[in-house]
Amino acid sequence: MRIRTIFTVAAGVSALALLTGCGAADMTKQASPFANAQGAKTVTLSVQSWVGAQSNVAVAQYLLEHKLGYRVDTVQVDEVPAWDALSQGRVDAILEDWGHPDQEKRYVTDKKTIARAGDLGVTGHIGWFVPTYLAQQHPDITDWRNLNKYASLFRTAESGGKGQLMDGSPSYVTNDKALVNNLKLDYQVVFAGSEAAQITQMKQFAKEKKPFLTYWYSPQWLFKKVPMTEVKLPPYKEGCDADAAKVACAYPHTPLQKYLNADFAKSGGEAAAFLKKFKWTTEDQNEVSLMIADQKLSPEEAAKKWVDSHPSEWKKWLPSTTHR
Amino acid sequence: MATLTVPTSRTAIPGILRNRAAAKLLALAAVAAVLVPLANSHWGSNTWPHTLTVDLSHPLATASNWVIDNRDTHPLFLYGFGYVSNAVVLAVRAVYLTLLAAGWTGVTAFGALVAWRVAGVRLAAGTAIAFLTCGALGMWVPTMQTLALMVVAVLTSVAVGALLGLAAGLSDRLDRALRPVLDTMQVLPAFAYLLPVVLVFGIGVPAAVLATVVYAAPPMARLTALGLRGADPEVLEAVESLGATARQRLLTARIPLARKELLLGLNQTIMMALSMAVIASVIGAGGLGDRVYQALASVDVGAALAAGIPIVLLAVVLDRVTAAAGEGGAQPRTIGWPYVLAITVAVALATRLLGTLDWPSGWTLHIAEPVNRAVDWMTAHLYSGVPVVGGTADWAGHFTTWILDPVRGGLQWLPWWSVLLLVAALAWLIGTWRTALTAVLAMAAIGVLGVWEPSLDTLSQVLAAVAVTLVLGFAAGVAAARSDRVERALRPVLDVCQTMPQFVYLIPVVALFGVGRAPAVAAAVVYALPAVVRITAQGLRQVDPAALESARSLGATGRQQLWQIQLPLARRSLLLAANQGVVLVLAVVIIGGLVGGGALGYDVAFGLAQGDLATGLVAGAAIVCLGLMLDRVTQPTERRARKGA
Amino acid sequence: MSTTTTTTPNTPVFSVDGLWKVFGPKADRIPADAELAALDPADLRSRTGCTAAVRDVSFDVRKGEVFVVMGLSGSGKSTLVRCLTRLIEPTAGTISIDGEDVRAMDKARLRELRRHRAAMVFQHFGLLPHRTVLDNVAYGLEIQGVGKSERRERAAEFVTKVGLEGMEKRRPGQLSGGQRQRVGLARALAVDPEVLLFDEPFSALDPLIRRDMQDEVARLHREEGRTMVFITHDLSEALKLGDRIALMRDGRVVQLGTPEEIVSSPADDYVREFVRDVPREQVVTCRTAMRPASPQDPANGPAVRPDAPVAEAIEAVARAGAPARVMDEGKCVGVVDHAQLLDVVAGVAASTGAAEAADSHAAAAAGSRAAGAARVGAAAPRKRGQATPPPPRTSPEDV
Repeated sequence: MRIRTIFTVAAGVSALALLTGCGAADMTKQASPFANAQGAKTVTLSVQSWVGAQSNVAVAQYLLEHKLGYRVDTVQVDEVPAWDALSQGRVDAILEDWGHPDQEKRYVTDKKTIARAGDLGVTGHIGWFVPTYLAQQHPDITDWRNLNKYASLFRTAESGGKGQLMDGSPSYVTNDKALVNNLKLDYQVVFAGSEAAQITQMKQFAKEKKPFLTYWYSPQWLFKKVPMTEVKLPPYKEGCDADAAKVACAYPHTPLQKYLNADFAKSGGEAAAFLKKFKWTTEDQNEVSLMIADQKLSPEEAAKKWVDSHPSEWKKWLPSTTHR
Repeated sequence: MATLTVPTSRTAIPGILRNRAAAKLLALAAVAAVLVPLANSHWGSNTWPHTLTVDLSHPLATASNWVIDNRDTHPLFLYGFGYVSNAVVLAVRAVYLTLLAAGWTGVTAFGALVAWRVAGVRLAAGTAIAFLTCGALGMWVPTMQTLALMVVAVLTSVAVGALLGLAAGLSDRLDRALRPVLDTMQVLPAFAYLLPVVLVFGIGVPAAVLATVVYAAPPMARLTALGLRGADPEVLEAVESLGATARQRLLTARIPLARKELLLGLNQTIMMALSMAVIASVIGAGGLGDRVYQALASVDVGAALAAGIPIVLLAVVLDRVTAAAGEGGAQPRTIGWPYVLAITVAVALATRLLGTLDWPSGWTLHIAEPVNRAVDWMTAHLYSGVPVVGGTADWAGHFTTWILDPVRGGLQWLPWWSVLLLVAALAWLIGTWRTALTAVLAMAAIGVLGVWEPSLDTLSQVLAAVAVTLVLGFAAGVAAARSDRVERALRPVLDVCQTMPQFVYLIPVVALFGVGRAPAVAAAVVYALPAVVRITAQGLRQVDPAALESARSLGATGRQQLWQIQLPLARRSLLLAANQGVVLVLAVVIIGGLVGGGALGYDVAFGLAQGDLATGLVAGAAIVCLGLMLDRVTQPTERRARKGA
Repeated sequence: MSTTTTTTPNTPVFSVDGLWKVFGPKADRIPADAELAALDPADLRSRTGCTAAVRDVSFDVRKGEVFVVMGLSGSGKSTLVRCLTRLIEPTAGTISIDGEDVRAMDKARLRELRRHRAAMVFQHFGLLPHRTVLDNVAYGLEIQGVGKSERRERAAEFVTKVGLEGMEKRRPGQLSGGQRQRVGLARALAVDPEVLLFDEPFSALDPLIRRDMQDEVARLHREEGRTMVFITHDLSEALKLGDRIALMRDGRVVQLGTPEEIVSSPADDYVREFVRDVPREQVVTCRTAMRPASPQDPANGPAVRPDAPVAEAIEAVARAGAPARVMDEGKCVGVVDHAQLLDVVAGVAASTGAAEAADSHAAAAAGSRAAGAARVGAAAPRKRGQATPPPPRTSPEDV
């Protein structure tokens, strides 16, 4: 009886091994099951949760689909997991990365499963911001040394007796807790938990002209809706943020990068070539972002509008042979 | 003689109960008197003593790095998980391609015909309309992706669950071992399941499917075991008396007799798989859930709703059809299975010839914009400055200041051992010493994991949300039980609230209540309310009509009937409602980490977002313990004694 | 000894000797230990934690007879009948069927026994709700591996036999209680067993339907002469159907005999109370009631058969105004006159516990539904007068 069971199991396992071809099943080489359906060439793009990243993807998707004949799948993954997914080929490209040295070392330098694809053309910057109407009322508020003076202005139910410094999505790079600590500020970091929640809250505050202090970044379409002024932190010096617990300086300015899956970069054909050439400006990105986030156009419509009005920019991204 | 004993025993019950409760408390006090001074002298702090914690972050981080570095080389992955992952991808892909090949007409026709076969004309029409709506909202392809994932996940869950259930149904020892595990798995928030699978499989469809299977298989296993065990013993005896072999008994009697439970299990598995398929979009499940998630990222409630509606429709259709199949048996035969297949193939071929396999792009409705306008209007007018009552933002502020803060402060102010004592006392009074022990151990585990403070923060949110939910839920339940019209009006609302993915609630609540713990509590209340209302109303309606009649004949007023007859007699249902409420509230409070709820929910989200599995897994384990503790504390004894209440 | 059975078979169908069934921890030691075996149920329970449902029971079931086991709920009768085919494993003693030791049978042989030799009819029918009437009746044949068309054909025959023709396609849920039990009966008959075992088959039915079903069983027995073991708590049913009756109390057989023997000469007070209200003239035969004929008796007068119940003689004597002669095959074997007839009707002097006997009847009727479920505790003490109130329930189970 037992022998028979063992035999059956063994037979089953070997049959499975035969069926799947070779002996090993490397799951890091699997594409998404939804990719390449119905014979179309498919590119899977990672979309991060912020709107700027959506704009990149929307325009790239529109051009890939309408000018190059690809089918595009988008998957929303947070930044760090996206690196992992990219290395496994579950997504083919990340179009906007804000700098992840650990991941870059692991995947690009060591494992060589991810390839650099150049600048996006946009420079990112993170900082602390107050609404401009507040900065006009209290001009000295834009220096971090005066923040404690105004802490009571920013008090909310969540922050208790301290001032509230609103942080966003858990996926973002942030040193704010350490900063508050090290700069001895009378503030409490409150995590909005997602960018969506943070934006909603900021818009509500702005509508009522209430004071608020928030972690924010540019390029960001929200600046057009809610003008904000940066609070100056101690200036950034190379390496001042090396020890996460002892940070006491501002965030750097980061040229945003594109990354492709290494295999895709090699054999991705026109799509890979196109994504490598894809490069635009902060203004371009904001234009599309504003259409998506504020005018509530669908990303596809927004991308179409931008593509229709900026032919000279995207023409140079396409391979010279294709003219459809 | 009989008339003499009844009154004495009746008056004796409360006395004995009180005595027993007092005895339990006394025993607990005695244990505490010995242990507390000891504990206090050793580790005298309010929060969990640092020396008693175990720091898991380093080993977990090492493990996670090891997995990432070895995933493409180590045999464990190449020959073990790799096959699992491959099989999932192949299966999902096969189903997805089949669905696409059938085209929108084929799928719609198949769905409608199956519904007609199993449940009659009305559901068939409903099914067809549901599928067409999915197309009309521009969600055809995502719907098919979700459906493909669901098909694979549900089939796997059913297979795994049925096998486990079969084992537990046939072997007492396995049943004893499995039952507490399955019971517990059912009360855990879906979020807690995500990290372990991500650790092994990475982001993507395989992880999503497996998390879904882990989440959705337990009800199938539970109900299968229950069905097998619940079979009429005399029928089984009759079968045995005719000389049936064990195999014959299983195939001809036990399994067919458990049909109702098996189909109920399928029904629950489908519903849980669907809700998980949405949450799993956080780990790359794709499909409808991903659309909801993406829409929320840009604060686009309308687009989120456009993706949420197909989910609700799928849920309602699948729920009704499987429920009808469970009750069925007597309805007239409508159409044979071969015809169903034949018609589907014919329809699919016809569309293919006409070249309209994809949903025609002109037939898409755009509902996002009007919905967003409505939401904007609502938030603009309700947020603040409403005369007399104040705006929702003010409510949220007051709620945070006057309720959430004191509760959290109080919990964190309590010495850690007194929290354990409190948990023990509550669990023991309501349940048995076993439930009390489990609850205390779970709570202590939280301390050992080193997340005592955030867990108490989460707990304070849960308590506040449960209180609000129960007050509102019992009130609405009483209203629904007393008036048919109210119930009829409530029913569709409850259905939709219950099937709507939890994510969809998050943005409107932020718009109304701002960022923080208040919106997390609000979302939890909205999500948990339907179940509480439904169980309360059901419990009240099931109260023995004879008891009510006799009360009426004695001239009791409606209020007296409610307070003296209905509520006491429905006590079991009310406790069950509380238990369910706690479980559901916890699930959403955790997701509330995405809207500023902070605490454990934020830690899990952080772990997922940053790939920091150490933080995420520890928080996930704490959530598991918290869920276990809350369930045990609110679990009435009868649920253990009676089968599967 | 007089007997009402017409045939006198050589080997009994079932032969039960010294049978014990004890529930509880280490049940084996009780039948083996004479001191423990002699304890009354309450003491046994308190000393060992065991309950003896069947204690030292012996009897033979003869071929062709209807053997009734009668007792109140908790007397161990349902356990006893299940021991016969080892649906419940006996603790000690021997059971043989046609001389073959049942307790020594291996699994296959036991299945063989259950498939072909003894079929059972259950109190709550035990039908498969998902199958039609026809498939339920054919179920026993299906278990035996009989092909589909053949078993359906044979099943249809038995459906007709129990008077359910036209209902083959219905499901048990669509039938009345009496009809369901007919299905149960047909299912048992369909496998053509040597013995039919009935476990309180009619106690869940309405009185009128119950009488119909009893007549049905009597008719089947008349037509086929199949051996039957019939469990019941209903005395009139036992008297009506039984060729012999074993009366059980607390797991023991207190009296075994023909209905007439039980009614006319109860073995102890318990049995006496039990049969107190039975109309004796319906049960006692003239053979028992008569006195030897004396020369001065008239030679003409009315004649009655020796097997006829006394009631018949009363009618004859009243009509003729003279003693009746008991005639067996043309010979006068005795005479009954007013004196004998009145003796029978008056019966044994009324006992002191009369009220209690009536009480226990009611209790039996009320307890019969629970009999199957509470089998384990069936032989729990039922001492009257010191009954303890049920333990208080803290859980609102009845909500």
